Amino acid sequence: MSKNGGVDQAGSDLFDAFADTALRWPERVAVESPGSTLSYRQLALSASRLAAALGDRPGPVAVSAGHAPETVVALLGVLAAGGTYVPLDPAFPLERQRRMVAAARCTALVGAAGQAAALGLAHVEPVGELPHPDGELPAAVAVGPEDPAYLLFTSGSTGQPKPVLTPRRAVSAVVGSLRGLFGVGPADRVLQFASLNWDTCFEEILPALTSGARLVFDPEAHSASFPRLLRAVERRGVTVLDLPTAFWHELVLHLAEDGPDAELPSCLRLVVIGGEAADPARLADWSRLADSARIRLLNTYGCTETTLITHAVDLLGPDTPEPGRPWDAAERAPIGRALPHVEELVTAEGELLIGGPALASGYPGLPETTAERFVERAGRRWFRTGDRVSRAPDGVLAHRGRIDHEVKIRGIRVDPAEVETALGAHPRVGLAAVTATTLAGRTALVAYVVPRPRGDGEAPPTTEELLRHLREFLPEHLVPSRLTVVPDLARTTGGKIDRAASHRLYGSTSTSTSTTTSTTTSTSTAVLS
Amino acid sequence: MSLDTPAAAPAPSDTDPLLDSLTAVFRRVLELAEVPADGNFFLLGGDSLVATRVLSAVARTHGVELTFDEFLVDPTPAGLAARVAAATAVAGAR
Repeated sequence: MSKNGGVDQAGSDLFDAFADTALRWPERVAVESPGSTLSYRQLALSASRLAAALGDRPGPVAVSAGHAPETVVALLGVLAAGGTYVPLDPAFPLERQRRMVAAARCTALVGAAGQAAALGLAHVEPVGELPHPDGELPAAVAVGPEDPAYLLFTSGSTGQPKPVLTPRRAVSAVVGSLRGLFGVGPADRVLQFASLNWDTCFEEILPALTSGARLVFDPEAHSASFPRLLRAVERRGVTVLDLPTAFWHELVLHLAEDGPDAELPSCLRLVVIGGEAADPARLADWSRLADSARIRLLNTYGCTETTLITHAVDLLGPDTPEPGRPWDAAERAPIGRALPHVEELVTAEGELLIGGPALASGYPGLPETTAERFVERAGRRWFRTGDRVSRAPDGVLAHRGRIDHEVKIRGIRVDPAEVETALGAHPRVGLAAVTATTLAGRTALVAYVVPRPRGDGEAPPTTEELLRHLREFLPEHLVPSRLTVVPDLARTTGGKIDRAASHRLYGSTSTSTSTTTSTTTSTSTAVLS
Repeated sequence: MSLDTPAAAPAPSDTDPLLDSLTAVFRRVLELAEVPADGNFFLLGGDSLVATRVLSAVARTHGVELTFDEFLVDPTPAGLAARVAAATAVAGAR
């Protein structure tokens, strides 16, 4: 089965690593959900069934990605067939989905027939639990390390979804590092928490399913209720939780309210966080929980273009030099040190560049953008992260801000220019400035819009109208939490629109209002998320 | 992120203590001086992340563990009050 190499060899393919695991532990539970369990053998057979339906090398395959075992089967099935996995959130605006499948050049969709028809794609029925799993596991299609594994979208300044193509060698290299970093093994149960439309979910799925661990689905994980989440973790014996840092902040606030004796699920041994800087105040809260000292709190860092995680460090817990030490609320959290497969370079300007096998192939169809971010230095290829860092003597990097205007909203990278471009597409918008600020204790997008001047006395667009317009084209995380119609924007001395100064100028006038009325003479605000 | 009532004085406009308590939760979580009884959480700038704070406060104060989907049905102080009252009545009847 391992025609492409064994699990532990450098360069072994990720699907082979899964297939070898399935041969080694065929009867172990691979995927558990309230409705069913799939053994490794069943999961491998289901994936093969789907791969057969797709045919050899099906190219980019759109997968309607929800929190269900079928999505994991689809991921593995596409990889087994030698195709490219392209997750598609059915909750995204249809127009956005159309642009995504066009940019990805998908021809088929695994999911609902209606969604496939609406997008003009061939429909492939998802494969769930097989009633009578038997037969030999067929050999997977032979693939090369440069063949693509998945295609995801990140925020781009043009207003179009920006595809990132990740080759199989990148995923294989990272997943090998992550198995070691997480110390994941057959006794582990990993909660499936992350959206299956972003790369974070691969951190949960792939290390677990290439080490004999159990991937656990539970709808209570998405109930937004911490008591329910924590009971589900306890009930299902979850040992590993991977949470967006913004969500972990909320969990800590909830636990801190219960006091220092708040109990954490006794089965939990590792909490992985990532997506943005951990708040030192929440780290201090967490470190004061009597029960937290036995749990590893692992901070992670990485970009879609450098595949999942490139840097990590244990912030608190048993794997730190001083287990049980309280975190000082004035001490900023580092992002981590490079994983074994990662090559890093810090430029004279302090920008972090990443090299090595985990680099994405680039942005398909966007050669100029690719050349801007994937650069050659001394004959080698590097990705410019845009993150400014400093390095401590022990090799741990600390974040020192961005060199561009990109921001993180709920852990997802956002280029404000993409939102500005979408606003500018409205016929009655003249100028728009979008930036991030702290609203209600978390990072949120705010927009300032100048109506297009009209001589005919036509009313300027209302905030509701503009937000409705954005929702037709943009997914939730790109729609500003607050949008204000203003008479003009602040500019730099060079005459360019100054996002930060525009926010300083109008941000405070709109924080206390939630009205959505609009007139030509005053600013108006609507808040929406 | 104080858990106390915000600096802006609460305005108990009626005699419904449950509604007043939930309106206060909305104000605190959204950091707004005023929230009407029919104010939609998401139109007031809320999202799934800060909704966890509303659900935590409701669980803690009223002993009712609602889910995000239940909150979505009518995400206003009045809608939440009705749901909490119904859940409390069911629990009391058992």
